[in-house]
Amino acid sequence: MTDTVKQHRDLSNAKDMIVCQGVNKWYGDFQALSDITATVKETEVVVVLGPSGSGKSTWIRCVNRLEHHQSGNIIVDGVELTNDVRNIEKIRSEVGMVFQQFNLFPHLTVLDNITLAPKWVRKLPKAEAEEKAMELLEIVGIPEQADKYPGQMSGGQQQRVAIARALAMEPRIMLFDEPTSALDPEMIKEVLDVMKGLARSGMTMMVVTHEMGFAREVADRIIFMEDGEIVEVGTPEHFFTDPEEDRTKLFLSQIL
Amino acid sequence: MTASQTEHPATTRPPLWRDAVVVKWVAQVFTLVVVVGVLIFLVTQAKTSLNDNGIRTGFDFIKTNPGFQLAEGIDTSPATGGRALYVGMVNMFRITFVGIIFATMLGVLVGLGRLSGNWMVEKVSTVFVETIRNVPLLVQIIFYDAVITQLAPVEFGVGPISGWFMVTQKGVSMPRIFAADGFYQWAVVVLVGAVVARFVYRHEVDRRDETGQDTKPGFKAMGTIVAFGLLGLLIHPLFGFLGPIFGGIARVIGAIPPGAVQLALIALAATAVVIWIRRFWASFDGPSGRAKLTDDDWFRIVFAGIGGLLVAAVVVLWPGLSAWIVHSTHDFFRFLETKFEFGNWSRPLDGMRPGVIKPDRFTSFSPNGLTMSRAFAAVFLGVVLYTASFIAEIIRGGILAVPKGQLEAADAVGLTKGQKLRHIVLPQAFRVILPPMGNQYLNLAKNTTLAIAVGYSDLVQVGQTLYNQSGRTIEVMAIWMLFYLSVSLGLSSIVNFWNVRLKLVER
Amino acid sequence: MTEPTSPNVTAGGRVQLARPKEPYIPPREWIRDNLFSTPFNSILTVLFTALVFVMTRGMLGFIFGHDRRWEAPATNLRFLMTQAYPDEQYIRVWFTFGWILALAGLSLAAWNAAPRVGYRNLARKAASVGVAVALIGLVAPAMSTSGRLQYVLIGAIPMAAGIIALKILDNHDTRDMSAFVVQVLVVAGIILSLWTVPYGQHTFVDGAARVDSGTVAQSTKLPLTIMLLVIIAAFYVGRTIRPHFKQLKAVLGGIWLLSPFILTTLVLRDPAFDSGHLLSTDIPIGLAFALGGGAILWLLSSAKAGETGRIAAAIILVLAFASFLTPMRMIVRIDALMLAGAALSSATFAGSREARLRFVGGWMGAIVIVNWLVTATNTPSTVFGLPTGTFYGGGLTLTLIITSFTLIFAFPLGVTMALARTSKMPIFRVMSTAYIETIRGIPLITVFIFFAIMLPLLLPDGMEVAKIPAIVIGYVLFSSAYLAENVRGGLQSIGRGQHEAAEALGLTTAQKTLMITLPQALRVSIPPLVGQAIGTFKESSLVLIVGLFDLLFIARNVIPNTSGFLGAQREPLMVASFIYWAGSYSMSKASQRVERKLGLGER
Repeated sequence: MTDTVKQHRDLSNAKDMIVCQGVNKWYGDFQALSDITATVKETEVVVVLGPSGSGKSTWIRCVNRLEHHQSGNIIVDGVELTNDVRNIEKIRSEVGMVFQQFNLFPHLTVLDNITLAPKWVRKLPKAEAEEKAMELLEIVGIPEQADKYPGQMSGGQQQRVAIARALAMEPRIMLFDEPTSALDPEMIKEVLDVMKGLARSGMTMMVVTHEMGFAREVADRIIFMEDGEIVEVGTPEHFFTDPEEDRTKLFLSQIL
Repeated sequence: MTASQTEHPATTRPPLWRDAVVVKWVAQVFTLVVVVGVLIFLVTQAKTSLNDNGIRTGFDFIKTNPGFQLAEGIDTSPATGGRALYVGMVNMFRITFVGIIFATMLGVLVGLGRLSGNWMVEKVSTVFVETIRNVPLLVQIIFYDAVITQLAPVEFGVGPISGWFMVTQKGVSMPRIFAADGFYQWAVVVLVGAVVARFVYRHEVDRRDETGQDTKPGFKAMGTIVAFGLLGLLIHPLFGFLGPIFGGIARVIGAIPPGAVQLALIALAATAVVIWIRRFWASFDGPSGRAKLTDDDWFRIVFAGIGGLLVAAVVVLWPGLSAWIVHSTHDFFRFLETKFEFGNWSRPLDGMRPGVIKPDRFTSFSPNGLTMSRAFAAVFLGVVLYTASFIAEIIRGGILAVPKGQLEAADAVGLTKGQKLRHIVLPQAFRVILPPMGNQYLNLAKNTTLAIAVGYSDLVQVGQTLYNQSGRTIEVMAIWMLFYLSVSLGLSSIVNFWNVRLKLVER
Repeated sequence: MTEPTSPNVTAGGRVQLARPKEPYIPPREWIRDNLFSTPFNSILTVLFTALVFVMTRGMLGFIFGHDRRWEAPATNLRFLMTQAYPDEQYIRVWFTFGWILALAGLSLAAWNAAPRVGYRNLARKAASVGVAVALIGLVAPAMSTSGRLQYVLIGAIPMAAGIIALKILDNHDTRDMSAFVVQVLVVAGIILSLWTVPYGQHTFVDGAARVDSGTVAQSTKLPLTIMLLVIIAAFYVGRTIRPHFKQLKAVLGGIWLLSPFILTTLVLRDPAFDSGHLLSTDIPIGLAFALGGGAILWLLSSAKAGETGRIAAAIILVLAFASFLTPMRMIVRIDALMLAGAALSSATFAGSREARLRFVGGWMGAIVIVNWLVTATNTPSTVFGLPTGTFYGGGLTLTLIITSFTLIFAFPLGVTMALARTSKMPIFRVMSTAYIETIRGIPLITVFIFFAIMLPLLLPDGMEVAKIPAIVIGYVLFSSAYLAENVRGGLQSIGRGQHEAAEALGLTTAQKTLMITLPQALRVSIPPLVGQAIGTFKESSLVLIVGLFDLLFIARNVIPNTSGFLGAQREPLMVASFIYWAGSYSMSKASQRVERKLGLGER
């Protein structure tokens, strides 16, 4: 039975976790993001959909300041993203990110991958960081792999380690940039299950994905983007059954 | 777009000392200032030290008599220090040029030998490579020198082939082919032939593409050049009329005041900067409006401007540079003029046999033959063998880098062995081979400086003698560095040019 | 020689693939396929065989020629190795040699580095060595009949042993042994022969050649035997403690790194060195900065330091710069600047107790090294000598000293340059590019001449630099440019994803570089870096031109000028060539092995 509890939650009183106001970004001549305005509430799960090249990855990376937006404001957990040295570090340790290509550190064991940032950014003692890491590996279901190197694991296992690595920083927001796109079909489920569990635990999440099932099941809201613009925003039922915009309809007809 | 930007509050700026961009630039400029400061400090320190030790400085030694003779070169008793250095440079180029040619030939052979199916050939090549490249070049040069020193002295009738090829402790002497008076006119004919050959080649290639027959374009193009070369033997005096033209060009250039060159150089620098900034600026214009320049971009523009100003300052403060450009160009065309004297009808090439003479108490090789002195032979052997061993590895690596699938694909479409090599293996291997090959040529050029150990008069050896005589160490070293830097830059830009071309062809 | 654990699994838990068995080919077929497959190939084979024959014969003729004076290098072997190191202090040289061998033995065991040789392969090798020795006797020109017979007989022994072993072992025998054992056995044989064969029969007393008990064999047989025992003992000690001592590799690496400093300063230095100034000034300054600075950094690296810490670091920086305006020892100023730099970066390394301890430890290490450097180059009668003073040790020792110090110091500088060149900050990039390309554009010899002549002039009053450190500084600057290019290749091979992942975790740029980028980049750059280390070793011979007494200088200029061996240049040169060759060849073989091993591990 799918968990549909979240879909009818009233989040209007919840705190704003991510606020984007009129965000623009260009790559030379090409405008990657135009006038993005959106808000993500605490504990909300937002899924960003859209054809490839629609700017959804760029947006999510701007939220983590891996890319710099050129105008507008992005406010994450009350802190505005600017060139301020201090804010960048602060935001990054508040926001966890999971990449399409996992990006585990190949020269470190799984355990070292997870404990690296807690030790050096959160300044946790080694023993505590390792204990925490083992708990997280337990949660993502691969405690026995702690001493392996990433190269010795399957893609699904690597992505679960990547999630554990991001969680080890105890972030308040998790960003997922197409976490299942580089996986073989039989491994997608194990990663999605971990993400569903995370959503149920009340984590604020922003997910870029092509997994429509996941979007329908877990999302509180769906944002549809095309050509760097937000085309439509709505609840999953509304979005999948009764979309307003023609572009959304076209997109849905192509993928469903 | 502007409308939407005004709707929202503008991006807030953090205080300066916490702005990542500002902090980065401050750190960079600070480092730059420290480095420049240290350099300035060292230079002033050097000046005071030199003054304290009573050592004079200045480039006047270039104009005065150096007071020593050179062991070999185009001018063994140079009149000025500058001339001596020039002879050293020519000597360096001589050995670099022949060294590159022979090292490439030997290296390619050995590299192919290492891939040979013949066990004996493969083993000999491997032993050659593993021995030669693991012994320092200097050790080799000194060893070859020691061996040559122990050979037979120069005598009448010395062998192995007396009168044709003689190997002695003073070096090797062999027949010489040289450019005679008619050479330059003849070269023009050959040049014309090359242009015609290019058209022939294009034409034959087009014809092959149209008809599908193998029209042998390369073969015909070569034939054209050879035909022009032969024809040139008969008609080359016709081109004597070029002489006055070159003379005219020389006079025009000679009349240019250095100030004009300075202005032109400054204008060039300014244009380059302006073009760069405009392009950079334009890259922000898009169909959807202007992108915002980040602080980084502004800093870039500022530094491009400063760079342009620096170039201009150098040009203004160093008028000698502009004068030198004018004079050397003028001299070059004057030289060409003298080589194209009207009605000069002589063979373009000539040859002479080596011999042994005894002008006084000592026997020596006659100047007729092409003589490799002991020092030249030692350095030559050293750099050729040493570089060849590295080139062999590059060739081998390049050919091995062609994926097996490529060869299988070639077999599958039925290419012959020669076609496979010509169209599949070599083009792909060449792309891998070229960059490291260029590096090896650069290394060879730099390695010729080891000639100082056996007394070959290259630039470093001449320079050392010069500063030992005149005490102008800093100046000589500056000349060394400038010379070798420009040689390196020149060689590497040639290699880069080919590299870029090959990559373009690839697409 | 089998391992206590399964022989196919190395210490890193990586599985070594068994080599596929070679199919047996009858000799006739092999010869046809490999030598006479086509007419062209047959011609090539004949030509090359003739070439090999002529070359070998010429070479042997040279080696065994009657006018060869091999006693020149043999008698002067000590010159080649250490130049004129005082006789009565020679125990220091042996101690150094023993130290290096002990470390080598331990490391071989710790890394389990020695390759393994199959029994059949070994038998084949023995047979071919025998054949080669016998052929020498048969082919060499100008050799007496009894001499030829000797060679043939000596060659026959390993040849027969090898062939018999091949007959006994069946084709699929997979047993093998450590190559280390084989090498030790061979070396042991040579060393044992010293006890019976009097190599290097000439010695000089009052300028006259005499044959007496002071031959090379007589004077070295005991120390060399001890050295052999040292390396064997070290190897077995290493093997025994390896399972119980987890940090063995790290500790050994550290000792290797410190060895050049320890050995040159404490062991090989001038025996009559007066350490008064050292004790009264240099060591107290170093200690003060190491301890006082360590305490400051301990406080600053506390997680609670925050804003106050930054202000304190800025104050230290200002003070450090102010020290240049006051009369003060240069070393104090340098140390103060270093302290300021460390203080500024302390927030990056702040963290748990162990992280802070490591940071302070790193600081102390850095201060010790820098102070050592300044002292060593500035103080009379350390191993580096004075501008005018005597140098204790030369020859191969000097070659190795120059090489190792150059490598140690070029490494951090080169890595910094590579980082600057790949950085996003334009001025850093332009500066390092200019530096790298300038250095790569000029020949090494001009760099050496510049630093030998000019460096002393560039220094302010009160600072001196001896010739050897001056040359080493130049060599470091030169090598670092090439090293930077090698490291840059590694840095560029690291994907953007790694940077992004590190940034997304909130690591600072310094942390990202030290913990994520560099470890991966350096692993990729190992093969070119080893190649460069070999180059550094070989090209150190260029110091001959500025008149340092390295191996080549002794072989070329010193031995041929000793009375009794006047003009004997080619023989010592050949010995020097062989030493260089052996060093470079073994290093390159070892690096190829490491490369294969790493390639296997990455999959």
